Amino acid sequence: MKAAFLGLCLTALPVGAEVLVPQFAEETATAGVNQIYAGEWEYMVGGGAATLDCNADARADLILAGGTNPAKLFVNQSPKGGALAFAEAASGLEQPGVLGVYALDIDSDGVSDVVLLRQGENLAMRGLGNCKFERANEVWGFDGGDAWSSAFSATWEQGQSWPTLAVGDYIDRKEDMFPWGSCTDNWLHRPDGLKFGAPLPLTPSFCALSMLFTDWNRSGTPSLRVSNDREYYKGGQEQLWHLEPGQPPRLFTEAEGWKRLRIWGMGIASQDLNFDGFPEYFLTSMADNKLQTLAEIPADGGPKPVFSDVAFARHAIAQRPYIGDDLNPSTGWHAQFEDVNNDGLTDLFIAKGNVDAMPDFALKDPNNLLLQREDGSFEEAGDRAGVAAMGLSRGAALADFNADGLIDLVVVNRREPAQLWRNTTQAAGHWLSVQLTQDGVNRDAIGAWVEVDMGSHIQRREITLGGGHAGGILGARHFGLGGLASVPVRVIWPDGTAGAWQDMAADSTYVISPSAVRAVP
Amino acid sequence: MQRRQFLALTGASVFASALPAWAATDPRAVLFNWHKLVLELVRHTATYSPPVAARSFGYLGVAGYEAVASGAGLRSLAGQVNGLQPLPARDAGAYDEGVVLHAVLSEAVQVFFGNTGPTGQRAMAAMRDKLGARMRDGVAADVVARSEAYGLAVAQHIEAWSQSDGGALVKNMGFPRDWTLGKGPEHWQPTSLIVQQQAPLLPGWGNNRGFAMPVGMIPGAGEPPAYSEDPDSDFYKQALEVYETSKTLTDEQKVIARFWSDDPMLSPTPPGHWVSVTLEILQRDGSDLAHSADALARIGMGVADAFIACWHDKFVYDRVRPYTYIRRVIDPKWETLLITPPFPEYPSGHSTQSGAAAQVLTAMFGDTFSFDDATHVDDGIPARHFGSFWAAAEEAAVSRLYGGIHFRAANDNGLKQGAAVGDYINALKTL
Repeated sequence: MKAAFLGLCLTALPVGAEVLVPQFAEETATAGVNQIYAGEWEYMVGGGAATLDCNADARADLILAGGTNPAKLFVNQSPKGGALAFAEAASGLEQPGVLGVYALDIDSDGVSDVVLLRQGENLAMRGLGNCKFERANEVWGFDGGDAWSSAFSATWEQGQSWPTLAVGDYIDRKEDMFPWGSCTDNWLHRPDGLKFGAPLPLTPSFCALSMLFTDWNRSGTPSLRVSNDREYYKGGQEQLWHLEPGQPPRLFTEAEGWKRLRIWGMGIASQDLNFDGFPEYFLTSMADNKLQTLAEIPADGGPKPVFSDVAFARHAIAQRPYIGDDLNPSTGWHAQFEDVNNDGLTDLFIAKGNVDAMPDFALKDPNNLLLQREDGSFEEAGDRAGVAAMGLSRGAALADFNADGLIDLVVVNRREPAQLWRNTTQAAGHWLSVQLTQDGVNRDAIGAWVEVDMGSHIQRREITLGGGHAGGILGARHFGLGGLASVPVRVIWPDGTAGAWQDMAADSTYVISPSAVRAVP
Repeated sequence: MQRRQFLALTGASVFASALPAWAATDPRAVLFNWHKLVLELVRHTATYSPPVAARSFGYLGVAGYEAVASGAGLRSLAGQVNGLQPLPARDAGAYDEGVVLHAVLSEAVQVFFGNTGPTGQRAMAAMRDKLGARMRDGVAADVVARSEAYGLAVAQHIEAWSQSDGGALVKNMGFPRDWTLGKGPEHWQPTSLIVQQQAPLLPGWGNNRGFAMPVGMIPGAGEPPAYSEDPDSDFYKQALEVYETSKTLTDEQKVIARFWSDDPMLSPTPPGHWVSVTLEILQRDGSDLAHSADALARIGMGVADAFIACWHDKFVYDRVRPYTYIRRVIDPKWETLLITPPFPEYPSGHSTQSGAAAQVLTAMFGDTFSFDDATHVDDGIPARHFGSFWAAAEEAAVSRLYGGIHFRAANDNGLKQGAAVGDYINALKTL
């Protein structure tokens, strides 16, 4: 499998082709987004960005955490293919103390809701439509607790009409002289009918900074991947939880193959990079990052949770700044896989920035844009693409804000304004944008897989909600198609039902439900 | 009892009225609490690999000792250890020894851990302010001012002394950005998939000035077995021993390997392990201030000098790790229990510094001094009991073989090298 990983030859690209370096134009000054993630020690982590379509106009709107500043919602007014344009809107989300933000349709009413991760009480905010929200902790039975919440993921467990939320918590903020080893409990908010039951502590907890429900072994039941900050735990490690319906959560064990890994875990990104049907995982850390792939996939039976680190082999590295004269080790936060040049190969963006002013780590730490080559390796292009910003970056979101088929970028910075870039790449490949929807519960089909037949291989994206660093995307998922003008596409829905393969024209956005496919004008 | 709870209680001894062994203003509370914080800072400051951590323990130990010695009329280390000039004299007038010691350590810890992250900075500030307020409570203002001024002068003297030893500036967490690997199969090869660790840690550390080792007289570990891939050679046999041991590890051997693993960033490091042992003993036995300060100075200097000696030889011999050799010669799929450290194999750093620690602590406490080592209790690793310091050191050494990261010669000769280092520490005149 390893050989296949590196030796993959893609027919969508001519062999030996140069990687197309995308071009991004920074439009921070004109895009109408004005947000600073502020605060001192209690806000050294967090600073998330979330996307959602809160006004049903098929554009990705933005919510940005503000730390001690109120969180803000920005309505997307970007013309198709035009400059990025957002308008701040009073939404009800203007809460202080917000570190993280994720959108999801909790009550399956077709209107996206929002969870705000905070210093103090977390908030479940019910979407009212037209980008308005109201507190719903009480009506939904959501116990927001009182902690330093820093990670989130959501899934719909089989047979449930209400989502299961995982919330990751960080240090006991009341500890000043000896805060190390004070990690507080993570929580699992499982359904109790059409509301949440009492949160279940996910002990042991090790200061989670990213969580992701993901079907890593394609069993049909997602597990909960937790990336933990070794700076603060004692006796801790990275974690993977079983979450079987009706059963208490339990950790994967060494006897099952799980191997201890201890990093400054800060963000999780997932993507099936080698087209074997199983996701790879990129884990951000300090001075090092991990790109994990399953060590072995048996011909019969499911794989064990044994992962190999192939970051070095694939040059998916971002251990120190690649420009500038500060060569101290880097600090990575949000990571997200997207195909930014539409060549059919998923690329990787990493938001970077010093925790505060740690002189042993780079103070000028450019964000990374790692472009995937046809041999499966990566090359750095952040500077050539124009996104090598040096702020204390934390959260980010990559989405096609102006609906031109090119992935744009927003980055949240600590103590400095958030930044936006419009992807202006010329001669990029073809693309496809897919928005899933289904009736009943789990309207956004979290847990589904979208498959795109590229001829020689199949691109797959698991529809997850969570991960990254303190924020994530909800809505359409993007595929680069290279030179292909149309592709067969199918969806494997969260209940395991595989939809039919259907040809779809490139350079289009489709809304796919189990019973229909609709092209968005 | 969890270590954190223990620390909280110790903190309470400073802040609460119900006090255990030492009173609220007992200077020992200052000494112990700052050293406990330092054990955490070592773990949570990225630059503090074991050699760098050991250096800080050495200087902080001397700083604490000199503060105590100047008030108790004890013999100074100035003129005994390399490069330390006589410390500032005290002015006439009364001093509060707790305030002096707190002023010394709050300044010195800030200096040696100035690069720590925001949480460490916050912790240092909290200890400086809260412990300082408690120590000043009830002490006349002029005495406080005089004591703090003197403490600051001592700390600044130590800091100035430390700047010339060659170890004051550590960049890129100690890894050179450019490095040429040795030619030939006997030489170290990177074993890590981390980019930064494709060069070895701190290749120049062996050139640093030590504390008690006379300059130019670093004790050597002796020649390692000659490199060979011949199955009849000593080298191959030692590799085979590592390999075969790894295949038959008992649960007890795994426990031992992990107990002494002492990984940087995930533990107080190997030198911190021995400082932790020393602290536990001093508190358990209610040692007085002078003996406590002396012990912490000696153990700190001992492990610091041991790392200099060890690192000197590591880069003289530049030897291949078992991971590289065994996968090349014996079994290409072999994996180690412990993560192989990113620097040459011979001699073993943990063994050398454990040998030095055992030699130093045995001289202070005796040949058959038994103790419980609870260094890793907070990490869920139970305490282990040892009948002597050398029993602990020997276990630390063989743990590296169980972990698959050292050949036997590196462990055995490392212990001997450490003992020779310890002899220099033991020759210092203090109490």
